[in-house]
Amino acid sequence: MACFERASPALKEILLKIYRAERPAEFDHQMHEFGSVQYHVKCSASDPHQTYLSISMPLLSQGLQFTTRLPNHTLDMVKGICPDVVEIIEPPKDGYQLTLRLNFARIPHGKVSTKIITEISSVQAVILSSQLKEMLRNVDSQEISQGMYKAIKLIYHPGEPFYVIKQPAKITAVFPMRFKENTDVIIATAFFQELVVVGSTGACAKAPHCIWSPIPPPELRGEPIEDLSTNGGFVSFDITSRHVEGKKLDKTVWNLLNFYTFVKYHVKSTRGFIHRRMRMRLGNLIEILQNAGIEEEQIKTKVQGFKYVRKLARFSKPKIVKRRCNFSKKLKRIRSRLKIHGYKLISYLLSSYYVTSQATY
Amino acid sequence: MANTSRLYLTCIRNTLEAAMCLQNFPCQEVERHNKPEVELKTSPELLLNPVLICRNEAEKCLIDSSINSLRISLKVKQADELENILTKKFLRFLSMRAEAFQVLRRKPVQGYDISFLVTNYHCEEMQKHKLIDFIVQFMEDIDKEISELKLSVNTRGRLVATEFLKQFI
Repeated sequence: MACFERASPALKEILLKIYRAERPAEFDHQMHEFGSVQYHVKCSASDPHQTYLSISMPLLSQGLQFTTRLPNHTLDMVKGICPDVVEIIEPPKDGYQLTLRLNFARIPHGKVSTKIITEISSVQAVILSSQLKEMLRNVDSQEISQGMYKAIKLIYHPGEPFYVIKQPAKITAVFPMRFKENTDVIIATAFFQELVVVGSTGACAKAPHCIWSPIPPPELRGEPIEDLSTNGGFVSFDITSRHVEGKKLDKTVWNLLNFYTFVKYHVKSTRGFIHRRMRMRLGNLIEILQNAGIEEEQIKTKVQGFKYVRKLARFSKPKIVKRRCNFSKKLKRIRSRLKIHGYKLISYLLSSYYVTSQATY
Repeated sequence: MANTSRLYLTCIRNTLEAAMCLQNFPCQEVERHNKPEVELKTSPELLLNPVLICRNEAEKCLIDSSINSLRISLKVKQADELENILTKKFLRFLSMRAEAFQVLRRKPVQGYDISFLVTNYHCEEMQKHKLIDFIVQFMEDIDKEISELKLSVNTRGRLVATEFLKQFI
């Protein structure tokens, strides 16, 4: 699924196309992606090795509002993406928050080139996760800083905000869950309950502690009611220092950002699974009913013997009765076929004549 | 639990064997029409007393009989919300494909989850005892399928939850 991958598939395809182009060509392409992300890719024929990539996207904490400039820690993280190839241009292009100059001449040939271009295509994921990474980096800080215990609202997808609350020795991420249909709510609730149970078992004891509750947790007291009205309850994850050590920080941030998408994908797959099973069962049930009506085939296979008897036995019960009725009707017709006026009298006279002639002899 | 289920199904089977004595009976009110009297209910003399067989408050079976047709309505047990939606989805799925079942009604009777309509024509085309076997087997299979579906959904949820949490480790 595209939304689970960090690299934007469309951007990757465009950059690969430019990189692999045999002849230098003019290229000016704008595109939009989910999450209100805008890209602008420009390449000129006079300077084929330099490609300019501009990005505009709302940051997590501002919802759908766009800022003119990215925070410094975000720019530092972007600089870390292939420093040989990528260079940040200041100031960025008009209407965009970040402009990068990509030097394709410095990309080595072979399989490595695809890997580098994939990393460049994941710049949106880097920008989005930078803010949450910065928050989670200081998870073990015992200092009571401004903003501790206060819920910070982050929006990755429009209409799906989640909250991060800083507490001593841990950070809690709270996800208010909303679904359009009642079926989705029930399937998702069953999943959340399993999540809580599995999280407390031995296998996943080291994973973040997970809680599901149908009512808003006390940490979200004071938040607007429209953000707290849900039909799927609230899922909370407690992130500790163990989950943000080294390379785990990147994974933890990406998993939290994609939690909504993950749940929706699971609900959709479960519905498809239920539908497939129902179709399979339908076939089995129909087969049972069809056997209730199949008599001819059964008799055909079982009966052996005289040809005429076999033919007779091949017919089903109602057909046999019908044949008998037809046969009796036929007989009646045969008997009454020669019914002519006065026939009875003639036949009586003839029969009496024969009787008297026999008596004479 | 299995014993009560067995008794319930046996009771339904015996009732169906007694009720499924159908014959062709043209409509008394409209010439050259032949309608299932159990659905119309216009002539009380053609209707038999309905029989309601209850296993408990949640599970019951209503058997309406008439001279030329028989209607069997079932209410399936639903222990929780998940079973509720699975039952609704599955029985609605079957009802929408009623033509494949011939004896299935497209819409269940109010207050029940699924309904069958057996007419004298069905009894002529199919064997009576096999029809009854099918209905009883259907009831067993529905219960079994709903339980299996619920188990599968929970198992899937557990596996997915395990995989999700493992990513943090």
